Amino acid sequence: MQIRRASKTKYIILLVIILLIFIVVAASVGSAKLSVKETGLIIASFIPGINYFIDSGSLNPQSVKIISEIRLPRIFLAIFVGIALACAGVIYQGIFRNPMADPYIIGVSAGASLGATIGLMLVSGIRLLNLSMASLLAFAGAIGVTFLVYNISRIRSRISVVTLLLAGVAISALINSINSFILIFRSQDLAKVIFWLMGGLTAASWQQFFIVAPIIVVLLIVSSFFMNDLNLISLSDERASQLGVDTEKVKKILLVLASLIAAAAVSVSGIIGFVGLITPHIMRLISGPDHKSLFPASAVMGGIILLFSDTIARTLLEPREIPVGIITSIIGVPFFIYLLLRSKKEVF
Amino acid sequence: MKDNPDTENILKVENINFAYDGAPVLDDLNFTVRKGSFTSILGPNGSGKSTLINLLSKVLKGYTGRIEIFGNDIKNLNPRSISKLVSVVPQYSNPGFDFTVEEMVLMGRFPYISRFGREKHSDFLIVGSVMEKTGITGLAGKKFNELSGGEKQRVVIAQTLVQDTPIILLDEPTSHLDINFQIEMMELFYGLNRNEGKTVIGVFHDINLASNYSSTAIFLRQGKIYASGDIASVITRENIRNVFKSDVYVGKNPFTGKLYVSPTFASDTPDNNDSRKEKNINIKVHVIGGGGAASPILNLLYNKGYMLTCGVVNNFDTDLDTAEMLGISYVSEAPFSPISLYSANKNLEFIKASNIVILPAIAFGHGNFSNLVSVEEAIDMGKKVIVVTGEAIAKRDYTDGKSQKLYKKILEKGVICVDNIQKITEML
Repeated sequence: MQIRRASKTKYIILLVIILLIFIVVAASVGSAKLSVKETGLIIASFIPGINYFIDSGSLNPQSVKIISEIRLPRIFLAIFVGIALACAGVIYQGIFRNPMADPYIIGVSAGASLGATIGLMLVSGIRLLNLSMASLLAFAGAIGVTFLVYNISRIRSRISVVTLLLAGVAISALINSINSFILIFRSQDLAKVIFWLMGGLTAASWQQFFIVAPIIVVLLIVSSFFMNDLNLISLSDERASQLGVDTEKVKKILLVLASLIAAAAVSVSGIIGFVGLITPHIMRLISGPDHKSLFPASAVMGGIILLFSDTIARTLLEPREIPVGIITSIIGVPFFIYLLLRSKKEVF
Repeated sequence: MKDNPDTENILKVENINFAYDGAPVLDDLNFTVRKGSFTSILGPNGSGKSTLINLLSKVLKGYTGRIEIFGNDIKNLNPRSISKLVSVVPQYSNPGFDFTVEEMVLMGRFPYISRFGREKHSDFLIVGSVMEKTGITGLAGKKFNELSGGEKQRVVIAQTLVQDTPIILLDEPTSHLDINFQIEMMELFYGLNRNEGKTVIGVFHDINLASNYSSTAIFLRQGKIYASGDIASVITRENIRNVFKSDVYVGKNPFTGKLYVSPTFASDTPDNNDSRKEKNINIKVHVIGGGGAASPILNLLYNKGYMLTCGVVNNFDTDLDTAEMLGISYVSEAPFSPISLYSANKNLEFIKASNIVILPAIAFGHGNFSNLVSVEEAIDMGKKVIVVTGEAIAKRDYTDGKSQKLYKKILEKGVICVDNIQKITEML
């Protein structure tokens, strides 16, 4: 058994190596063509310890600037948003015991959309902590709606998973209607809002990254201490309690953590679908459902998938940008349908 | 240690009340469970058995009263500490995800694994030995969802056993499985109870399975304890009739000597009227036994719900076996020996306590002549006596006319004669 776990660590190491290669490749593509070798050298020159061996004088200063100030912040933001969505997906699917759950299932997306709409239309000029009002209000909206859904589905201090799902669907529908209603009166902002809703990382900057990334990292570290609990909760609430989990408390903690993680990602990226849904799925097929390895493996895979999608999004129709949410859906939907067909043969 | 009731009683339940949405499920329960006992919780559906199991394992909260384990109120114990004392074997259910068998079993070690640490070598050792004991070592790498029902239940049992708790609760873990597997699993829990001193408390549907393995039982009816204590004192015909509204024979299994419950299959008998049966239970009938002649009468009246006694019968007599199978009190005598004065007196006590005495068409020798004498005394006591005539008394008399004489005297004293045992019921 210990041997089997070691092989799961190998998966994660392998994925990290793939991610590192992807970073270099992604940084080399774009409107200004750079070779992979040059890009690699430039990136290496930023890494303390390694940069000692690189003659920074030989590097093209313009290329260095493109990579360090334009491409890398976007690449790292894409990776962290991917990590966040995938990890939130793992947690939600575990709690709901349903591989069809995603980070938006209990209202994060609806709340974020409403917040973003208000932010984009009403107070678009104001910035706080280097974040746009749309980001801040999206975060607030996501947390607010999740909190509302959570409280609706709480029956005598217990959370029913089914009620939570239904309340999530119902409240999301309501919030989306309110959102559409607002848009009727501000049709001049429609394009802006819709572009935001489709999801994208065009506005990526180091400032954004350094606010969001530490939040995500802290939330992920805290979440990772609850993965044994999540394994048991994924059996059933009752069984988890019998085996010693403080089920109701842990469920609350994990729901709050996952919602915060998803909200943090959504606030800088808009609604990027399918990453949170399919990443845990892929990793479950590869390394099994044990959340202790599934969580870190999905994190790295989420980073890879979103970086890959975002790179396509910004290069496919150059110089035009495609919202990355469209790319993830184009990749994600066929996969999702494949899983649906597969799941017909299985007991979920 | 033995004098200290707190260590003897591993579990103590005081004044437990529990309600779902205002509807009471458990109503003022009080009981204790002795360390090392095997206790069955029995009762019909909806009597609160599973709720009780959930309260004892603190899966359900919101009760009033007090539950003590090793003298500690479980309200003061966190889920992790409780799961080191009490484990629950539920019926298996399919998890949403494809865990392997060994992953499932390892989950049972949860209470021992620190939140910030990982499994230790000792955890894997316990998992290995329990998987061996439950016969699932060969399934280690298989997906749980792909196993058969019996294999899945084994895995869930292993998952519970690695918790290594002094108290094991069983929530009908075998009732949906094949009989061979039921027995295998019960043997496993019985072995843990016997050899490792585990206290086992189980909810069972199958009374026979329960009575074969348990030392004590608690009978629940509508959220209340109807009866509790030693298994033989709880599983009686009356208790089963009152709790399950079903008539059964309670006898002893001839192979194991354990209690054995079998339905009377009321549809076989013409009288299936429950209220009539309830009435009949107050009528006490004493049947004189011997040579198997009493057996059909005992069976017939048993199905009608009468309170029966029987005597005096010799050991190894068919009538004695019948009485034993039906759980009827009887007076017996050593095989092939004449009825002693002691037995005759005991028989008279039964007759005194009864309302009606029945004399089947039995043969009389010098050994059982006193049975005939007791019938005469019954008439003198003013009891209603029914005599089954059958074969002529002359052919049944092995006492050189002594019995014939007394028999005729009895008939003259005024008894009801029937020529067919089916007619007895009309005369009662």
